[in-house]
Amino acid sequence: MQKIPLLQAGSGMVLARDIVRTENPNGPPICGKGVALTDSLIERLKRMEVTTVTVEGRPVFVEGDKSPEEILTCFDKRFKKVEDDPLTSKLKKVYRNYLVKALGE
Amino acid sequence: MNTRSLPTLPGIITKLNALTNNDKSSVQEMARLVSSDQVLSARILKLANSPSYGFYRVSTISNAMILLGVNVIKSLALSSSIFEIMEKSSVGLWEHSLGAGVAANVIARHLNLPECEEISTAALLHDIGKVIVRLNFGDDYRQLLALVEEKDISMLEAERELLGTDHAQVGAWLATGWNLPDKLIEPICCHHDVKTSENFRIKSSVVHLADILVKASGFGFSGDDLVPRVQPLAWETLGMTEPILEGLIEELEDKLIDTKNFSLEMQGSDESEV
Repeated sequence: MQKIPLLQAGSGMVLARDIVRTENPNGPPICGKGVALTDSLIERLKRMEVTTVTVEGRPVFVEGDKSPEEILTCFDKRFKKVEDDPLTSKLKKVYRNYLVKALGE
Repeated sequence: MNTRSLPTLPGIITKLNALTNNDKSSVQEMARLVSSDQVLSARILKLANSPSYGFYRVSTISNAMILLGVNVIKSLALSSSIFEIMEKSSVGLWEHSLGAGVAANVIARHLNLPECEEISTAALLHDIGKVIVRLNFGDDYRQLLALVEEKDISMLEAERELLGTDHAQVGAWLATGWNLPDKLIEPICCHHDVKTSENFRIKSSVVHLADILVKASGFGFSGDDLVPRVQPLAWETLGMTEPILEGLIEELEDKLIDTKNFSLEMQGSDESEV
């Protein structure tokens, strides 16, 4: 499951979560999960000011074209100067756990 | 210093025009849009705090918009150089600022802090000094980037080495010159050194942490891709714990996707405009 900007959605992707109106998130869904997106559907969602959709699998690599391993390697690299710092390492650990979980889904 | 020529995103102007032409849109909607551009926000706050208006220190965009009126805001946005073509590095810096604003808002709401909007604004403006350095000293900026690359140091260290000052000081100096309120100046000035923040330490700590989280997420580009050290004082001031941090990160990552969408949209309308 991956949440992606609507602008990066393409036809054929399958919704993993209901789409709800931004201004009324608790109201009835505009489009139910399990629906396959089409170009005309995406166009209509754009007009309804929907900005993100959650789709099945990981069809879009948001950060360039990185695999989950590469995302984690880059993540680790950003922390290379502060490895020795206890607080920053704590933050890194929490953040990394989140990423591993999110990427694993 | 001349800030009249600071570029703003063309996409914002198109959207702002659409909003002002629609009588159903609210000031809050416009404020939300304006708050996505650190340069336009800085100019609006500068104008609202200029002595010729005589308002008492305005610190939020929505207040500034109500005080100045929508037409003034529109002409301010239009007078930024519309045809300035965005370079890759400035999109990165803009995204970094926007991301920090989003992160600060997530932190402030999670911790139930007062003055959320001020905190987000301070975070949005925290790297305004870099915009100034980049626009006014183009050569120096390129040298800075080269130095970051070559010595594998942070932008902050490169600035101190090459310019003898840093973007936090430049930003604070500018914000002071623009008569912005102290609650915005102090976090801009102290976001790399929270202990020097005396009166608004909580706000400075939020901006400090927001900067770190956005750099950790890899969203945007602020000149280098090194996560700064978390300062224990900021951690303590905010009463940060691992479970709170977990919640923050989860919400931030979710929000950053919306932010990325917005950024793509802004750059998209960029191309169709030029």
